[in-house]
Amino acid sequence: MELALAVALITAKVVIVTAILLILPIPLTWLERKIAGHIQQRLGPMRVGWHGVLQPVADGLKLLTKEDNIPVEADRRLFKLAPIISLVPPFVVFVAIPFGDSFSLLGAEITLYISDMNVGLLFIFAVAGLEVYGVIFGGWASNSKYALLGSLRCCAQLISYEIPMGFSVIGVVMLAQSMSLLDIVNAQADVWYVVYQPLGFFVFFVAGLAEAQRIPFDLAEAEGELGAGFHTEYSGMRFSFFMISEYVVMVTISVLCVILFFGGWNGFLIPLPPLIWFILKVGFFIYLFMWFRFTFPRYRYDQLMAIGWKVLLPLSLANILLTGLFIV
Amino acid sequence: MGYRTMATDDARKRNWIGWVFFADLLNGLALTLSYLFSKTVTMRYPDKEKWTPYPRFRGHHFLLTDQAGKIKCVACELCARICPCSCITVVPHEDQNGERHPKVFEVDTARCLFCGLCEDACPVEAIALGQLYEFSAYSSGDLRVGRDELLSKPGKTRQGGNVIAARLNTDEGVRVEPKEEDEDGHDWWTRLRRK
Repeated sequence: MELALAVALITAKVVIVTAILLILPIPLTWLERKIAGHIQQRLGPMRVGWHGVLQPVADGLKLLTKEDNIPVEADRRLFKLAPIISLVPPFVVFVAIPFGDSFSLLGAEITLYISDMNVGLLFIFAVAGLEVYGVIFGGWASNSKYALLGSLRCCAQLISYEIPMGFSVIGVVMLAQSMSLLDIVNAQADVWYVVYQPLGFFVFFVAGLAEAQRIPFDLAEAEGELGAGFHTEYSGMRFSFFMISEYVVMVTISVLCVILFFGGWNGFLIPLPPLIWFILKVGFFIYLFMWFRFTFPRYRYDQLMAIGWKVLLPLSLANILLTGLFIV
Repeated sequence: MGYRTMATDDARKRNWIGWVFFADLLNGLALTLSYLFSKTVTMRYPDKEKWTPYPRFRGHHFLLTDQAGKIKCVACELCARICPCSCITVVPHEDQNGERHPKVFEVDTARCLFCGLCEDACPVEAIALGQLYEFSAYSSGDLRVGRDELLSKPGKTRQGGNVIAARLNTDEGVRVEPKEEDEDGHDWWTRLRRK
């Protein structure tokens, strides 16, 4: 009985988290188009629903009815596999992410996470790194020059930025003495780690921008020079898989920024429910990503590499050294 | 060198503190944020708003009448002659007073290029190009406009160059009708932010 209940609870949590993550790109695309519009003194979508809120639904329906086109010369199996490989890891990451303190319901204690791993952070980085395979497979299987160039760039970019990203969180792990995200958040009850780790946060955030392939680091799908980058040959639902995965990665990076550096669901001054605090902070980071997108131009490929290896990597190493010195 | 170049100006601004804390990136972000909260310039045509053209606008043709209400046109056919795309057909006739008027006056607006030469050529100022621009049709035959219809088309208004409140009406063709309460509208150009 006990076991059945636990399994049912976990299943329910997984279903809820997956459903939320699948639905989340709908409001996010709307928000992105609205922000883009207003930054350019336009209105953005206005005609479908109130202020265009149903526009993403219309777009989704349109994508569903599109022809599912596979190029003749493409590697069919890999071509079909790639969108799924790029879609699954961002969802799996959320297994290890806590959303708030536990609360009790009908006498049973319910935790707001699916699993609290003692190596949570390691798990997240390992799984998030898998997403790049979807992009590489997609570009390779398409058998198109643009797609291949896009996925080559993406490959190089992710290798260069995973390293400073991994190094930048070591400072946090040293301070919290744990790799479990729950412990990291609880350790920030008084002071958020962004105060102790400004350098670490900076490196993490910039590497996160590159990881989520957002402007100014969206070289893998540079529209101006590569058509659409790695998903040039994709259409219909397969294309929308890539889009959903991109938005979920953006949410993941925002959530990680909040959990690692901005105190998770710990409030500040204003007493609000922890979950509300969490959502507000994550929302702020998502807005920041969109704000950046419509402000900055794209970095050149060599500049991207130079930033990754010559700036972020030394900075993240210096951050580890400094943190070590202060702890001792 | 007496003049300042952009490069020297930049060098003056780029001190090392600004460089370390990404002053230029922050400037850019501040600019886009201020744009985010500034007024939009989108004209919501055809749903909510409509542009009223200036009096100089060359839209749909119309024929004028004199004070007595008789058609001004004397069917001299100068407009038909000067028309670069030969889209005006005039068939003259003489009425019982011996005056010359058009029996047929037809403009094929599908072929018209709205140059306004007919207006310039007319010796009695009987034809002019107005401010009407919504006259799309499903067949090009519907775009041939006869004499009586040309007489009933709206003439020129004094003012123009504004955005007025309007509503979309698709009962017959596509028309965007102005709403009565907002006659003057607003000047679109003043909303434009230029920094």
